[in-house]
Amino acid sequence: MSVKVEVIEGGVPHNTILIAGVVSTLVCIYLTYLNVVTQTEMFSFFGGLAVVAALVWGSHTIKVLCSYGIGTGVPSAGMIAFGSGVIAMLYATRFGMLAPVVALILAAIIGLVLGWVSNNILNMKIPAMVQALTEMAVVGALTLMGFAALITGTFGFEGLTTGTVTMFGMTLLTHQNSFIGGCLIAVAFLLGAIAIQHPFNACLGPGWTQDRMLMLTAECAFLSMIVAAIMSFALISAGSAIISLVIAIIGWVYTYKEYMALSKRDAHSWLDSKPIPDVEGQ
Amino acid sequence: MSAVAAKPAAGSAMNPGAMAVGIILTLILVGICYVMSPGVGLMALIGVIIGGILIGFGTHFVPVGGAPAAMGQAPGIATGVAMLATGAGVAGLFGGAWAAETLPATMDPMMQLIIVVCAGAVGGGLMMAITCMMVNFLYVFGMGIPPASGKVANDPITGDSQAEYKSQGTEGHGLPFVSFVGGVIGGTLGGAGGTLIYFELLVLYENALPGLMNVTAAQVMPIAVSAAGMFAVGLFLVNAVLTAYNITGTIEGPHDPKFKRWPRSIVASAVASALCGLVAVLIVMPLPI
Repeated sequence: MSVKVEVIEGGVPHNTILIAGVVSTLVCIYLTYLNVVTQTEMFSFFGGLAVVAALVWGSHTIKVLCSYGIGTGVPSAGMIAFGSGVIAMLYATRFGMLAPVVALILAAIIGLVLGWVSNNILNMKIPAMVQALTEMAVVGALTLMGFAALITGTFGFEGLTTGTVTMFGMTLLTHQNSFIGGCLIAVAFLLGAIAIQHPFNACLGPGWTQDRMLMLTAECAFLSMIVAAIMSFALISAGSAIISLVIAIIGWVYTYKEYMALSKRDAHSWLDSKPIPDVEGQ
Repeated sequence: MSAVAAKPAAGSAMNPGAMAVGIILTLILVGICYVMSPGVGLMALIGVIIGGILIGFGTHFVPVGGAPAAMGQAPGIATGVAMLATGAGVAGLFGGAWAAETLPATMDPMMQLIIVVCAGAVGGGLMMAITCMMVNFLYVFGMGIPPASGKVANDPITGDSQAEYKSQGTEGHGLPFVSFVGGVIGGTLGGAGGTLIYFELLVLYENALPGLMNVTAAQVMPIAVSAAGMFAVGLFLVNAVLTAYNITGTIEGPHDPKFKRWPRSIVASAVASALCGLVAVLIVMPLPI
């Protein structure tokens, strides 16, 4: 039996995943704006769906970059994605309604410069480097913005730095009980960074299949969303947090089952592991 | 180009043209900061750039072994650059942040800066010293291999010969004395750099955020600490990964031939820190639109 090489070589082309990732992430983040329109916090869960979409796109970008054997391990790619993403995201929150678009543009600029630095000053000379680092900075920034929207229901600087605390029946404004002031952003940072680097690290090798890796990414992303949804109990109303939590658990159970099915499909069979095939699009 | 043909191409060659462009880019970014926020913002950006350079340079000293070291086939600590540099930097950052909290506010700002950066440097160096020692315990008593370098015939510091202790088919194993010393120096420089970034941004935010958000200085503290800390971690990771790219993943310490690549890393860290630092400074400026 010979293996289906075409699945290993590509499946869905990377550019399709890129466009679908950008559009669905931005749409999902903007859907949390329904919170402001309807004066509720029920639509915060769209932030979590934005996280899932961004991470699925990001893990495929890591696959494109790390196919070249950059010699530093796959986790470093996830770390630079979020290291550059958090800087763009924090600045972009200042722009209110425009925040997701500003985060996208600013992260793209930072990623572009970092890619140029790696390729020219550090002499990496890897063809996919500039585009991959650009995409990854954008993924990092949008993932953190998605987490922010999921946990607080908003993505503006005011909403992320201001919370309320109830003491003796009085509601007081506080800055400590907030996404940035309480440093929940640090937890969101690592939840995203682990979820983005794990799938390719776990699935790489001659038996790599795209659908299995992307399903694992979705599983990791929903797992992160469960934790973030639990954290959101502190900052948004309990009903809205329960909606996020239920959606995250349903998504995680579904993707986990699918991933196990795909793993069983790919295991227990003889693989004619040919020499490493060329990556798609090169 | 195929994936097979494009193996890590980062040789030791310098690219003078790109490095010149990088330095000019850094100066342009500093100039933008000078125009938008002279004074306290510019000071913060210069501190961030110096901190980033310290991180990039310091990481070259740290003996990073990666996966081969985990199997005892190469010298160094058995993990990646990003993990080690982050560990040293965050350990240093905690030390420096603690010092920044406990110092009296009436103290001379320059003296504060020196104490905080020194506390961070000690924290980072201590973390690396403990890591290096425990790694050697594990190698010697757990795996039963003697520390030996594969890159030099004699240890540059102690003068001990290495070849007799090196197993055939490996590039050396364990942490020789020079790697241990390199690790401590690297942790010290990394911790100092991370803390310098954190402290400069913290001072900037403490001064600028109350006016921006119309709140008191005490109320703004959690946001200033958290935002400065997140920017410091982000900058730390960017600089650490760029350095990892420079040394293509593994290095034995200051005696490794790859150590000679440090000028590239300094320029790269300066560009990356200037860009990211400019964004971090601009967050407290009034919006341009």
